[in-house]
Amino acid sequence: MLLRTALRSFFAHKGRMALSLIAVVLSVAFVSGTLVFSDTATSTFDKLFAATASDVSVQPPKPAENEEPSASDKPRTVPVDAARQLAAVPGVKTAVGQVRVENATLVNPATNKLVGPTSGAPTLVGNWTGTPRSAMRLTQGHAPQGAGELVLDADTAKKAGLGLGGRLRVDNAGGRHEFTIAGIASFTTTNPGAALAFLDTPTAQQVLLGEQAYTSVEAFGDGSRGNDRLKADALATLGTGYQVKTAAEQKDENTKNVGSGLGFMKNAMLGFALISAFVGCFLIINTFSMLVAQRTREIGLLRAIGGSRRQVNRSVLAEALILGVLGSTLGIGAGLGIAVGLIKLMNAIGMELKASDLQIGPSVFLAGYALGIVVTLVAAWFPARRASRIAPMAALRDHGTPAEGRANLVRTVVGLALTAGGGGLLVLAAKAAKAATGGRYLGLGVLLTLIGFVVLGPLLATVVVRALGALLPAVFGPSGRLAQRNAMRNPRRTGATAAALMVGLALVIGSSVFSASMVTSANAQIDRSVGADYVVQGGRTSITPEMLDAVRRTQGIDHVTTQKFFGPRLQLPDGRSARTNLTAAPPAFFTTDFHLPVTAGSLDAIGRGELGIGEAFAKDHGLTVGDRVTVAYDKDHTQVLPVGAVFAKGSLFGDGSFVDFDTMAKAVPAADQPPVWTFFAKASSGTDVAKTLTALEDALKEYPQLTIKDQAGYKKVVQSQVDTLLYLIYGLVGLSITVAVLGVVNTLALSVVERTREIGLLRAIGLSRRQLRRMIRLESVVIAVFGAVLGTGLGLAWGVTAQRVLRDQGLDTLSVPTTTLAVTLVASVVIGLVAALVPAFRAGRMNVLTAIATD
Amino acid sequence: MTTAAAAVHDPQLPGGASAVAASARRVTKAYGAGETRVTALDAVDVDIQRGRFTAIMGPSGSGKSTLMHCLAGLDTVSGGRIWIGDTEITGLKDKQLTRLRRDKIGFIFQAFNLLPTLTALENITLPMDIAGRRPDQAWLDQVVETVGLAGRLKHRPAQLSGGQQQRVAVARALAARPEIIFGDEPTGNLDSRAGAEVLTFLRRSVDELGQTIVMVTHDPVAAGYADRVLFLADGVIVDEMHAPTADSVLERMRRFDGKRTS
Repeated sequence: MLLRTALRSFFAHKGRMALSLIAVVLSVAFVSGTLVFSDTATSTFDKLFAATASDVSVQPPKPAENEEPSASDKPRTVPVDAARQLAAVPGVKTAVGQVRVENATLVNPATNKLVGPTSGAPTLVGNWTGTPRSAMRLTQGHAPQGAGELVLDADTAKKAGLGLGGRLRVDNAGGRHEFTIAGIASFTTTNPGAALAFLDTPTAQQVLLGEQAYTSVEAFGDGSRGNDRLKADALATLGTGYQVKTAAEQKDENTKNVGSGLGFMKNAMLGFALISAFVGCFLIINTFSMLVAQRTREIGLLRAIGGSRRQVNRSVLAEALILGVLGSTLGIGAGLGIAVGLIKLMNAIGMELKASDLQIGPSVFLAGYALGIVVTLVAAWFPARRASRIAPMAALRDHGTPAEGRANLVRTVVGLALTAGGGGLLVLAAKAAKAATGGRYLGLGVLLTLIGFVVLGPLLATVVVRALGALLPAVFGPSGRLAQRNAMRNPRRTGATAAALMVGLALVIGSSVFSASMVTSANAQIDRSVGADYVVQGGRTSITPEMLDAVRRTQGIDHVTTQKFFGPRLQLPDGRSARTNLTAAPPAFFTTDFHLPVTAGSLDAIGRGELGIGEAFAKDHGLTVGDRVTVAYDKDHTQVLPVGAVFAKGSLFGDGSFVDFDTMAKAVPAADQPPVWTFFAKASSGTDVAKTLTALEDALKEYPQLTIKDQAGYKKVVQSQVDTLLYLIYGLVGLSITVAVLGVVNTLALSVVERTREIGLLRAIGLSRRQLRRMIRLESVVIAVFGAVLGTGLGLAWGVTAQRVLRDQGLDTLSVPTTTLAVTLVASVVIGLVAALVPAFRAGRMNVLTAIATD
Repeated sequence: MTTAAAAVHDPQLPGGASAVAASARRVTKAYGAGETRVTALDAVDVDIQRGRFTAIMGPSGSGKSTLMHCLAGLDTVSGGRIWIGDTEITGLKDKQLTRLRRDKIGFIFQAFNLLPTLTALENITLPMDIAGRRPDQAWLDQVVETVGLAGRLKHRPAQLSGGQQQRVAVARALAARPEIIFGDEPTGNLDSRAGAEVLTFLRRSVDELGQTIVMVTHDPVAAGYADRVLFLADGVIVDEMHAPTADSVLERMRRFDGKRTS
């Protein structure tokens, strides 16, 4: 009985339900699509790893937690002997030494263009081994033999337009090595998007490792013993100096690595889902509130003839349940579409997943239905509760004038308390001395102010809409006045409708204040403290001396400054120790290339062999100029240095420490030093910086892996990094605004239905269709602008606070993007107009007589 | 046929304004077609005299509301012609009809006459606001005084009694000085005392302000306030009565019922 009434009522209002349905479908689709996609990707890689993993793999030891890593960044290796020892373990059929590194770049020597992916998936270079379970199979040519031959994977070869006999260069820290493509190999399983190149084993060892060793030894059993037994035996034979992993362990580890790579995407998608679910809540709350309001009489009658509160409550919730189940079902279906789309996207960037191989586990249905149903039920619970409180007498009362819901006292008090609490937290965050503390306050403050604004929505609707709408009668005459009054007549509805829009716009404004401040601060920082004209970055491979020489030889370059990074532990005078990021650089770094303000000591001290530390670090550890600290570059190289300079907060290098290059070199021999990843160059005074940039690019054209930027280019990089973040946020916001527009449409459509008689009356006494449509459009615009004003207010508060929190982390200049603010407000007007299109059209078409006669 | 009707109706009487505020000639209104065709008005001829209070009576389904809606330009006719003052309204587009209603006609409906979001005063001046005209303050004061609402102008409809709401509706209809006011059972939702109040105001507005009023009612007492009563049955005007009283109207209505049952 309950179900039948609910079903009947549901289908009687299908237009209204459809809009709520879209919100449910969207959020469920994002969640289930994400789950299906990541399950599919994981399963594909699982299969790949299961098919290719050796039975037991012996890998170099992992550095212990507190052990100092070697400063040199060389790939860790397993000695050649280990392969022989492992082969002798009972049950092992073969043990193959493998070389595989990621720190080499493939270059087409004919064009000086990079071969292989530039970001995301790695470029792997190694030795060609005939393991029983290789992921690669030679399809053309032959295996590499001798110092001049190489095998390339087929996908990369195709993309780069290379074939058998073509030339390919391998660049790494050891220099440049040219090879002839002797073979092309295809993946026997899914290609995860990486570029792979293979040399013969001695060449690989010499070129890639610079020593006779392997990066791992892979053992394959003869089937007489289990892998766990093999592992135990291998450990007994080799000793504990290695990591020994069974096939299952390798698979788990690899899957985890791939998983973390896909994690960002997964989180972004789940973010979309959450936002649309959150915004969708408002839509559902409004839909059900309006359905309940329309049915006041019906519900009153039901109560008058003896229906209990619970029955009324349940009948509303039953309808919500239908909406939730239907929405989730459709959403899961749409989610499969999204998953296929993501797979296609992955294919486009080189990761070969098969859409026909979709993995749809029970978790997809569980999560999809749980989200869809819980969101609808929670959202419908508020109106259902209100419905059950309708007095039986409501049935008998005149229904002509819908009750003017007023924001009640409890709501006002709770809303004010939340907003005040959130505001207080934001202030605390802005004043917090430490970014971490400030960040926590900021997060909580953002949450509280958001909820506070949502709760206060109805109250704010009365106040803000009155102020906003005060202009309307003056500008738009009677339509304006009617629109203003209509927008205010049900503050709760206006508040909830606008809240959906507010959430999205607050995010836009907040993040654009943040990102604008980031760009402005970075640019100001670069202008203020960077004297170097060019920065050259190595990307995956380090900078070689040949590159530096090429730059030094370039016309117009005054000097080149290299820096090396360490992550040493500092032994402090008080006996404790702390880690820091240490940059070792020559004197030019501190004088001409960068202008780093010093709060204590002097820059000269660094040249004299003393240590420079950051202000915050000094404060945190009670260090002052003259204190002596022991710098442990790694476990073999330490040095005692006096603190000679304290750098001011908010510098380009954060809170890092500095030491003169020569000082460092006294403690760390050249062979143990890390490679150079980035270097700076300065143009001679009087030369054209732009022309010299061209000369520099020309001099380095053989090294396509390098990125060369002048200051303007570097600023653009900062800008584009920020833009990437912004695009993601705009995507999120676009979605939430779509849902919000549906909400406004819904509210207006319902208002038009509710006010049928009023509209009939207005038309009878002479309101023209055009005036009527204008009235509805203006109401819509008022609601949208109200949402935009709240969103802008919140967003500004969030953005400004975020900047204050990170003021010492490089975000020292606040920048409010006024264009974005203006665009947001104008856009909200457009949103209002668009949302009013259909409701206004329908109201205009209404027959006057029927409208007046409506009950 | 049309020429005959035009001859009867002569809007351009010599010497100024016509004595007729609205007139209908052979107005027919039918719903449906063929077998299911229902004729609500059957070639009705009627003239509404200027400055007089006309009541239209008849049993349910007699077509009295349809006649009023057609006269007021709220409904379209199937045949015949209608004039409001000098303007023929049959054949006008929605836009022109809307403007006509706005400028020349006042309405009082049975219920839900007022916009809940506007105050009493705002409701009264709404037609003029819509037209973009400034209300004539002296006239407005007089109207407000006549209907006895001076103290309640800032109130919202929800804060007024049913009788007060109808009086606001009357004031709204009067305030714009329309050529003619149409009332569709304006006292139908009121108790007899409140109804009498509203009818008294309508009567006074005719006597003191010279307003033309057409009222549809089924209440003989209400019809007793009019100068003239038109009796409608089955879409045809069957009788009329001048200077009616509640008793004479009731008597006439009884004869209707008698004729019907016989």
